[in-house]
Amino acid sequence: MPSVCSLEQAAQALAAAHDEGRRLTIGENLTTDGLDRILEHESGDLTCTVEAGLRLSTLQYALAEHGQRLSLDPPGDPTIGALLALNLSGPLRHRFGAPRDLVLGVTLVLADGTIASAGGKVVKNVAGYDLARLVCGSQGRLALIARVSLRLHPLPKSSQTLAVETEDAVSVVCALLGSQVQPSALDILHPGGILTLFEGSPRAVEAQIAAAQALVGGVEVDHEAWDVSRRRQATALQRIRFDPGLLEQTLAELRDAVVRPASGVAYSGDDTPSNRLSQSEVEDRLVERIRRQLDPNGVLAA
Amino acid sequence: MALPASFVLGLQRALGAKHVITEPEQLRVYECDGLTSHRAIPELVALPGSTEEVQTVVRACDEERIPFVARGAGTGLSGGATPLAGGVVVSLARMNRILEIDLASQRVVVEPGVANLDVTCAVAPEGFFYAPDPSSQQVCTIGGNVAENSGGAHCLKNGFTVHHVTGVTLVLPDGDVVELGGKALDPDGPDLLGLVVGSEGTLGIVTRVTLRLVRAPEAVQTLLAAFATTDAAGAAVTGIVAAGILPSAIEMMDRLTIEAAELAVAPGYPAGAGAVLLVELDGVSAQVEEDAAEVETICAECGAFEIRAATNDLARALLWKGRKSAFAAMGRVATDYYVQDGVVPRTRLPEVLRRIEVLSEVHGLRVGNVFHAGDGNLHPLVLYDAEQGETERARDLAEAILDACLEAGGSLTGEHGVGMDKACSMPRMFSERDLEVFGRVRHAFDPNGLCNPGKVIPTPRLCGEVPGPYRMHPLERMGSAERL
Repeated sequence: MPSVCSLEQAAQALAAAHDEGRRLTIGENLTTDGLDRILEHESGDLTCTVEAGLRLSTLQYALAEHGQRLSLDPPGDPTIGALLALNLSGPLRHRFGAPRDLVLGVTLVLADGTIASAGGKVVKNVAGYDLARLVCGSQGRLALIARVSLRLHPLPKSSQTLAVETEDAVSVVCALLGSQVQPSALDILHPGGILTLFEGSPRAVEAQIAAAQALVGGVEVDHEAWDVSRRRQATALQRIRFDPGLLEQTLAELRDAVVRPASGVAYSGDDTPSNRLSQSEVEDRLVERIRRQLDPNGVLAA
Repeated sequence: MALPASFVLGLQRALGAKHVITEPEQLRVYECDGLTSHRAIPELVALPGSTEEVQTVVRACDEERIPFVARGAGTGLSGGATPLAGGVVVSLARMNRILEIDLASQRVVVEPGVANLDVTCAVAPEGFFYAPDPSSQQVCTIGGNVAENSGGAHCLKNGFTVHHVTGVTLVLPDGDVVELGGKALDPDGPDLLGLVVGSEGTLGIVTRVTLRLVRAPEAVQTLLAAFATTDAAGAAVTGIVAAGILPSAIEMMDRLTIEAAELAVAPGYPAGAGAVLLVELDGVSAQVEEDAAEVETICAECGAFEIRAATNDLARALLWKGRKSAFAAMGRVATDYYVQDGVVPRTRLPEVLRRIEVLSEVHGLRVGNVFHAGDGNLHPLVLYDAEQGETERARDLAEAILDACLEAGGSLTGEHGVGMDKACSMPRMFSERDLEVFGRVRHAFDPNGLCNPGKVIPTPRLCGEVPGPYRMHPLERMGSAERL
């Protein structure tokens, strides 16, 4: 399996396929495993620039030495390129967003070998089209993601998890979301369980746990509880999107799921398809037009 | 260049005659946005009242190959809404309804002509707010915010417009309508919504926007710290970030802007300050109290000679007063000014500020610095006198400041956008290939090149022209808008 180790190699591999009319699937017959360096980490700026083949765990380990993290915690250990291309997130999605919310800039290699950058490495920047966001969720079909600049957060000084067992998840979630506590994560382990993560200074975390308990009860549990959530997310058979206000109806239709209520996203273990929201034909056509502009020969087409 | 009579008649029939403006004196109202140095009279202004009517206008333009520019309140500072001579302006002013307040989903659905602040006003009684707060928020519209990916003083913690728009209805340049996103987050496929937000009206016209609401925080605390120098204030910013504190805003003003603000609105900032820092913290009470104490300590360690705290709205408004009036106050110390909008990595702030000081001396013009220090977004105000023939020198100085930002690894623009103002500067930040790829993406949306042409991506025709001097926008003269 050819793995590229530099931008130039990636450009050559893609350009050759483009010229010869071959197809490539990023992550399968073209991988970025060799593109795995941290190019820059300016801790005072809370930003970093990395190559796309870098594993998330490797990045987190390096950042932790400086008391920082990338606030994305999907199941498994994806490369940063896959993180973007598949738009992966975990429980921290609740407060910190998805890859599209934390990406500052990208360097892409197009199917014809063109190397192009968009965005930048500063947290605030509106110059040019936001191709860094565009490739989030693109599944490797628009271009190869080669380099990524990311926004970081300080590691919390302390964190605690509150677990609530309930038959009325909707009321518990509404009470928490309607209050002024600010959890970093809030997952429904449907049916019956709710996990809430609080992060901050020890005193502020204590205060929030107390405030949350006063509202919805529950007990403090070990952080391993989140592994259960991530594991269930990883083994889910489908991802469902719903209007957050329709939580009750959504839960009623699901037998087994990890639900992020504020995002309107659920990872369900049910095998009956129930995707409530999906893309329109017009959007599909638009995506196809963009794809043809960036990859006219269909090298990266699925 | 007259428009075909059938085109005008068709629009009059579809929209009603009073919603189609062709009288020259009425068209003049639309000749510029907040970038008053660029002006052009459009041939026609259409005021559609619905998505369908926007479609009708756009389809008619497409058929006749007439360029069009969408416009909200016209407060943009980069010429994103500057019309094209001979073209059509699509004003979204009539589409100003809040369509749905869905507190259960923590979303609102609005038309693009709704003013930014009106969203917060509509939901504040329920304990929510809309986070992006550009300084023109009383008049600027959500549609314009979507086009520019607007920020504001509090985006340090809360993020920009792109983080708060969860869905849009977009009329494509050929008249087709596409729904991107919705109330739920993370749609499948490439993030078209993220691409469209901040595309400066070049990929279509947004006719409906779904926004995320944020629960009002339990506590807000504002601190003002006075320092002898910007270096000392900059060190405090670094210290705050290094301590792992994320304030909702960190704003800095230098000596010149403090002096101007005192002359204009007398906020009573500490006498003799070479720099003041405004730090706002919000969140749960326990965290805010702790962070505020730590910020005070850090500021004191960095040489702050006076620190004031505000915990209620009235006291807070007083601390913000000087900052919010800073741009308008420049009129007290100079006849003309040019606002630059560059970004540098926060850690490079002190050296870039020193560089600006040197550049200011070399060019013989004063520069006031008032900026979003927390995210490294500089707004240097180059002061000059057009009647003394200083316009050219002011422009050179503003460009040199931008180069200093780019050399430090920053950006051409943090929140004002590229528009017309900086299209020709894009090659200083992006390679020819980068720009060519931007062009391909634009082509996918707008193959006929009719949707706000000449903006964002440089064109040879545009980049040969020299813009005129700054002139006050009508809204500024009326006092209903200011530059910040």
